Amino acid sequence: MDRRGFSNRLGLRWARLIPLLALSGCSTRAFWLFHPRGAVAAAEFHVMLLDVGIMLAIVLTAGLMALVFLYRYRKPRRQAYDPTFVKSNRIEVLVWGVPLLTVGVLAYFSYQAVFATNPYHPKAITRYEKTEARKGMAVGPAGALRPAITVPGKKPVHVDVITTDWQWLFIYPHRHIASLNKLVVPVGTPVDFRLTSATVVNDFFIPKLVGEIDVMPGMRTKQAMIVSKPGVYSGYSADYSGGGFSWMEFVTKVVTAGQYRRWTHRMAHARRSLTDTTFNRIAAPTINLAHTPKAFAHVQPGLFRHVVQRVMQGKVYATPTAMTENMKKPRGVRVIH
Amino acid sequence: MFVHLQGPWNPLTGRLAWSDIPYRNAIVDGAFAFVVIGALVILTWITRKRLWGYLWREWITTVDHKKIGVMYTLLGLVMLFRGFVDAVMMRTQQVLAVGPHSPGFLGALHGYLTPYHFGQIYSAHGTLMILFAITPILQGLMNAIVPLQVGARDMAFPYLNALGFWLTAAGASLLMLALFVGDFSHAGWIGLIPLTELPYSPGVGVDYWMWAVQIGGVGTTLASINIIATIVKMRAPGMTWGRLPIFSWTALSTSVVGISAFPVLAAALALLGLDRYFGTHFFTAGMGGNLMLYTNFFWIWGHPEVYFVVLPAFGIISEVVPTFSEKPLFGYATMAAASVAIAGFSWMVWLHHFFTMGAGPGVNAFFGIASMLVGIPTGVKVFNWTFTLYKGRIRFESPMMWAVSAFALLLVGGLTGMMLAFPAIDFTVHNSVFLVAHFHSMLLLIGFAALGGISYWFPKIFGFRLNETLGRRAFAFFAGGTFMVFVPMYMLGFMGMTRRLDYIAHPQWLPLLIAEEVGIGLYVVSVYYVAKQFYVSIRDRARSRFAGDVWGTSRSLEWLTYSPVPFYNYAVLPHVNSRDEWAWRRSHGVASRRPDHYEDIHLPRNSAVPVILGALATILGFGLTWRIWWMTDAAFAGIVMAVIVRAFVRNTSWTLTAEEVERLEQGFEDVPPTQTPADHALGGAVVLETADNPP
Ligand code: HEM
Ligand SMILES: [Cu+2]
Repeated sequence: MDRRGFSNRLGLRWARLIPLLALSGCSTRAFWLFHPRGAVAAAEFHVMLLDVGIMLAIVLTAGLMALVFLYRYRKPRRQAYDPTFVKSNRIEVLVWGVPLLTVGVLAYFSYQAVFATNPYHPKAITRYEKTEARKGMAVGPAGALRPAITVPGKKPVHVDVITTDWQWLFIYPHRHIASLNKLVVPVGTPVDFRLTSATVVNDFFIPKLVGEIDVMPGMRTKQAMIVSKPGVYSGYSADYSGGGFSWMEFVTKVVTAGQYRRWTHRMAHARRSLTDTTFNRIAAPTINLAHTPKAFAHVQPGLFRHVVQRVMQGKVYATPTAMTENMKKPRGVRVIH
Repeated sequence: MFVHLQGPWNPLTGRLAWSDIPYRNAIVDGAFAFVVIGALVILTWITRKRLWGYLWREWITTVDHKKIGVMYTLLGLVMLFRGFVDAVMMRTQQVLAVGPHSPGFLGALHGYLTPYHFGQIYSAHGTLMILFAITPILQGLMNAIVPLQVGARDMAFPYLNALGFWLTAAGASLLMLALFVGDFSHAGWIGLIPLTELPYSPGVGVDYWMWAVQIGGVGTTLASINIIATIVKMRAPGMTWGRLPIFSWTALSTSVVGISAFPVLAAALALLGLDRYFGTHFFTAGMGGNLMLYTNFFWIWGHPEVYFVVLPAFGIISEVVPTFSEKPLFGYATMAAASVAIAGFSWMVWLHHFFTMGAGPGVNAFFGIASMLVGIPTGVKVFNWTFTLYKGRIRFESPMMWAVSAFALLLVGGLTGMMLAFPAIDFTVHNSVFLVAHFHSMLLLIGFAALGGISYWFPKIFGFRLNETLGRRAFAFFAGGTFMVFVPMYMLGFMGMTRRLDYIAHPQWLPLLIAEEVGIGLYVVSVYYVAKQFYVSIRDRARSRFAGDVWGTSRSLEWLTYSPVPFYNYAVLPHVNSRDEWAWRRSHGVASRRPDHYEDIHLPRNSAVPVILGALATILGFGLTWRIWWMTDAAFAGIVMAVIVRAFVRNTSWTLTAEEVERLEQGFEDVPPTQTPADHALGGAVVLETADNPP
């Protein structure tokens, strides 16, 4: 498991029980954030456990003290009533000192974690690759329950992400293919994203794999991830972007290297090609009710940069009034069932 | 017209047409019927009882800080109710619209609200709750109590005070108008940019939002100026900074935050207005605009704003806990220092609202750590309240129960706040319902404290108590509802659920959404009991009248005057001898409210100008929203004229003679308080200063 490296170092195994406590009895499967499948998401999850652990120490102390005092000193009991107890330098020092120290410790961990999860260059990925490599050598292929799937320095997969109203376009610039509303990446390989929006601000989020990053029109942001387990993961926009926002979902299929290669070859033979004109048609306001994917081959080179530049020059894909004020009968809007 | 508008426009009615009145929407019709019938009942009642003259003279044109405070609180409670109805609608939509096979009603594909309608509801909910519910309730409490606590006869600027109130009311009216005429914004209370730009929000919704917030914001700025001036310049003799009650300390800190933060919002909204009305490109994505500039501006105001509302709540808790623990507040000096420190830190953390924008690790680390620093003074407050309980004699009357629950919510909200302050954690829960649960913990802390504050000071202002049994029931259901709504919401956040969804694509979230729906049902019961509590308490007021200090163990200066408070507050301005003056007077047997002599009192005269300005501001906002230029011109000219006319009014005050004061004072009953053991326990140096023995 990818989490092991990070959590062992922090001696945090016990902390995994916290989510269980929160829901004693029920399964935590549905708690996506507690089951990260990517090194970045795992680092984010573990620093969360650390933070909650440290903070709970204080919060529970304060809460318990208050409860005990509320019980012990309630009116009819007349227990050791002392209204002159209003000041104590020793307590004062504690009262300022304990939060100060805690914040100091938390600040250190927060600083570390910022670099581990920095979307532009997450240290968590490098660290993960190293541990995987070490594991790969230690455990022979025959006896390995989980053979190493990562070779450090493997060339990352590049994906350009463009959001429109209200769909996701994933372009694989090196392979000149593109996929609408469906992201396919190989397992155990770093994936580098560049993101922009053709219209308004969205927020790229795959809860089990990687945290959020804003997707902004006329600007380019970056994100990076590495996935530890093949599977199908949900991704969506986290930042409200208008009428079709709730349907703005995409599937993330994480496949083995071989499957990925076969997929790209299949995509390269797709019937549709993606040019400026096709892009403009995609970018017109569309609600994609079934998140229907679409495949494109022969993607016009430099399309991503082109979209950024055109938005900077003032291009907008305006929302028709029918799409805002009267959503009952969407006129001028394509609804894909 | 400088910009291209979708849809028709004409010089007479601007963008307004009959079709803009959404009479075909069953939900809006219901709300409209409710408001119209409610208004008719109230208006008929007022007319039947011949109360118009009384209302006009005693309330609408008043400049008395207590009455303005009451009106602020009432406005806040009404808006709180409207915001609550919005909440019920949102919860219900999310429970109905789950999965592709969920049914649709009233023309919606899923659930009963179309996406744009849902967007308007959550935007109105947020804007209302923060700016027109919580803020006015707290402003109301500060307005009513701060002058009494510092020993003043009124606010420093009574006329400005009335103006501030009527401008806030104008903003609220504009927001209510948006319900029935046209649409409201769908871009959230924060005005998501560039969604608020004309191409993406072509209707009038964003304009309604923008002008409502702008006008209300002016009102709040004026109120902050007034409170600062009152506390700095109007303290009674002997009321040194070291004796200022903690609620007043928090009012002061909060108002400093207010006057420094609100102008930033005003500027941001003005620039957005230029974009929408003149086609400039301040915040557009293209043409050299910078949308993150808006986001920065908004949160440079927005973060201080959340502390603007939390500080008075801390102040209320700091007044209620000592009273019902029968003990002075623990660590007065650090409590005051912590209030000022929280206000200070609140300016340097705004970026934590958009850690995900892709700033470098240095920037995120700085703002992350700065955000955690706020936790230090907040922690200090938590511990000081806890030690106030220590060795106390605790009574669980309803203000205390509200305060204790607020304390619990602060722990939860503080814990989750410290999680969000880690950029690395924030990446996974930003814009999720976990974040929504965080700030609701915090804002409900304020709600609990404010309701506690209302039940604590209501008797002070009106001279009779609120019904305790019904108050407890209201509290129990409110607390239960809070638990049932927000615990599942935190859990849903960990499941990955994001905010502002009008359709839920992931059916595994349904069970917890149902739990939240049950929670909102508990709130409904609580609202019923709150309403009933007010009704029954007012009906039976004769039975619960009292003249002095209801709680018997109150400590600060405001309890020195009669309840209900006479319009001149104090017949003779008190000399303050100690921190917790009222407790001190009790312990020294000088707690009589009868002064030894009377003097003439100068009082401000009522004025109709503030309410007229408020009405004109509403018309101005309406005209701007619909781009009816003759209306805006006329309203603006009216405002300028009213201000000029007011400037020439000479006799703005009148004198209440000493004899009249004496006659009035004879009418009040002077009930001597009983001493309590805690009265002797006071901080600060004590010098006996009476009128005969001035300092
Ligand atoms: C220890 C103190 C606190 C810390 C460290 C803290 C931290 C944060 C952070 C980091 C966010 C941004 C989360 C995000 O958007 O991803 C946030 C949001 C928010 N907080 Fe707090 N907070 C604290 C106290 C408060 C208080 C006292 C209030 C209010 C009274 C409050 C109200 C809010 C609101 C309204 C939002 C979000 C608004 C929105 O995006 O719509 N917080 N808080
Ligand atoms: Cu903040």
